[in-house]
Amino acid sequence: MTIDKGISATGDGPPTPIEYRLDPASGVPTYLQLVQQVEHALRLGYLKPGDQLPKVRDVVAALAINPNTVLKAYKELETKGLAAGRPGQGTFVQATLTQVALPELTGLRRSLLGWLASAEETGLDEDGIVALFTSVLRDFYDHRGGADHKGGADRHARGEVRADSEGAA
Amino acid sequence: MNVIETSGLGKSYGRVAALRDCTLTVPAGRAAALVGPNGAGKSTLKSMLAGLTIPTAGTAAVLGGQPAGSAAALDGTGFVAQDAPVYKSLSCGDMLHLTANLNRRFDHEYAQARLAELGIPLKKKAGKLSGGQQAQLALTLALARRPRLLILDEPLAALDPLARQDFMGTVMTAMADDGVSVLLSSHALAELERVADYFIVLASGEVRLAGDADDLLAGHRMLTGPAAEAGLVASQQSIVQIRRAAAQAHVLVRISGPDEPVPPGWEAHAVGLEELILAYLRAPGGPAQPGPSAALRPEPTEVAR
Amino acid sequence: MTVLTLTAQPSRDAGMAPLPWRRMVWVTWRQHRATLISVPAVLGGVALFLLLAGLKVHHDYAVLAACHGAGAAACENRASALTSTDWTMANTVLILMNLAPVLIGAFAGAPVLARELETGTFRYAWTQGFGRVRSTLARIVLIAIVLAAVSGALGVLFAWFFGPPMRNTGMTPGEATVFVTRGLAFPAWTLAAFAIGVFLGMLIRRVIPALAVTLGAFLALDLLAWLVVRKLYLPELAPGRIALLQRQPAVPHFWPAQFIEAGWLLALSALLVAATLWLVRHRVA
Repeated sequence: MTIDKGISATGDGPPTPIEYRLDPASGVPTYLQLVQQVEHALRLGYLKPGDQLPKVRDVVAALAINPNTVLKAYKELETKGLAAGRPGQGTFVQATLTQVALPELTGLRRSLLGWLASAEETGLDEDGIVALFTSVLRDFYDHRGGADHKGGADRHARGEVRADSEGAA
Repeated sequence: MNVIETSGLGKSYGRVAALRDCTLTVPAGRAAALVGPNGAGKSTLKSMLAGLTIPTAGTAAVLGGQPAGSAAALDGTGFVAQDAPVYKSLSCGDMLHLTANLNRRFDHEYAQARLAELGIPLKKKAGKLSGGQQAQLALTLALARRPRLLILDEPLAALDPLARQDFMGTVMTAMADDGVSVLLSSHALAELERVADYFIVLASGEVRLAGDADDLLAGHRMLTGPAAEAGLVASQQSIVQIRRAAAQAHVLVRISGPDEPVPPGWEAHAVGLEELILAYLRAPGGPAQPGPSAALRPEPTEVAR
Repeated sequence: MTVLTLTAQPSRDAGMAPLPWRRMVWVTWRQHRATLISVPAVLGGVALFLLLAGLKVHHDYAVLAACHGAGAAACENRASALTSTDWTMANTVLILMNLAPVLIGAFAGAPVLARELETGTFRYAWTQGFGRVRSTLARIVLIAIVLAAVSGALGVLFAWFFGPPMRNTGMTPGEATVFVTRGLAFPAWTLAAFAIGVFLGMLIRRVIPALAVTLGAFLALDLLAWLVVRKLYLPELAPGRIALLQRQPAVPHFWPAQFIEAGWLLALSALLVAATLWLVRHRVA
């Protein structure tokens, strides 16, 4: 068994807390996978403000992906306000994602389970439920207007732009 | 700077045209992927850009307008040919020395360190290396010359997955470290999606599609709707391909932007790169460039069930 | 992982000075080490043989010449026995010397470019900074210099070796078979064969077929020279020229004829090299 010393084994500066992995079959664009992994790491506490994100060259060497892809991911994180680049040093975590407290999460979970039970009673199957939820979710953020473009790039990348919102898929 | 610029480039052997009317503009800093069936002209194009083949029509320039094959072009271009040729009877150390003598720049430290990292002894004869090691040796020699453009002519064809990963890792690292632009080709579209951000689709000696991956994806969408309306929709849009079944049809169209209206009653989905490339490979007819300067359009194909 | 050293981009001026020719010395040596070692080695062996055998030959013919006066017949009979075997051996070597240029030239010349093309290494060699025409020219010239030097030396040695048998049988250096093995002609024929080999190697792009065609082409050239060209500057010797113990007058046209022969051979070689370089420039792939 070999243990990787970690992709920041170049020895300059403290090691970065996270490493990326790719799921080539997921259908999600590479740069988006990196963004999602950073957000996920922030939510779970692997990354804290001030931590350095993996260096572009290290990511590229480990995963054999295009450096422009990593740059694009880091730019997206900057746009979202989650990270900031320091010239000559790298990209650092700037903010954190709002972490919802546990009791509130439990409450949301319970109400969602109730909704799911009613949806099932009306005859919707799992795919139907997903389609309905996705459609309403989109409408919800669309109505937010210009202030919140957060879902914009994601939606386009996931390929769902509907002309009408009536009916399920 | 445009790292590759061709204008009406063509190569004919006798009456057979291996490449025809090829006009490309690839900006620097990209990894450009050449995609197409065998015999489409990919190797011919790369050979001309590397300065090995003389065009019979048009011009080819690299590195900001240097004519392909000129001293300046050769100086800044690294080429790793198919089968990664090296002199089999020479030792790896000799190959380093040879390359150093034949070029203006050679980073001996990098080359030696890289070979040590790969576990390739300098004294070993190049012909005794495994396929993957030979490819890595050829790549090391090319990169040690500090090129601005690296052309890879399918040296990965015979490599196992680990060797391929190592090889592409080296190439991508050179891009990250040194800003090298890359031109490569491969049949593994999934791999290319990870590695390339500029795509050139070649078929039957012609360019069918060329552009930044993001632009290509943003410039197309797949419309799904009633088969009966397919013809009407097709006449209103710039289409690439129609796939029609009894009740439902899919129409691949070119769009000018994400806000372009979707025909009522139709759904629009973004297209994946592989789907897009395959559609253009199937489409017969002339070249197409997405974007404001798009002139000719290929004849759309129709696939009926 | 290893980082490429030097972060600053090297300056790139359009008018770059070409890379110095001397770099090609090591390159040619390393790429053609087999040829550059084996040809001189083989010829060195031949030279050693000529030296040792030549000493014997000279001795035997000196003994023969010293036979006169009383007991001359017996002396001559003994000496003749030796010199006739010498003559057989010398004649064999003469024939080999006539074949030497094509053997040396073909085996040295045909693989120079044909092997690059056959193995595909030209895709490496001709995409390096040192342009393909310049590097090919350098390789051809450097190998040619070595071939000219060793063949020239061999020609001189053979002339010394063959002297006594030649004089004794009444042959002269003006005779075609002898004429080509000495002076300027021998190295010139070797270089011509080399140039033919290099050119055909580039044209045919495969080593073995190129070798075969080179041998054929050389023979054709040899015949052409023998039957047509040489008559222009080297007069035919009088019939019945082979007369034992009859000294022929020295050929007055020998050196001018040598210059003429070497001249047209070298011109032909230069033409073939130019044609080769043209092919390298325009017909690589």
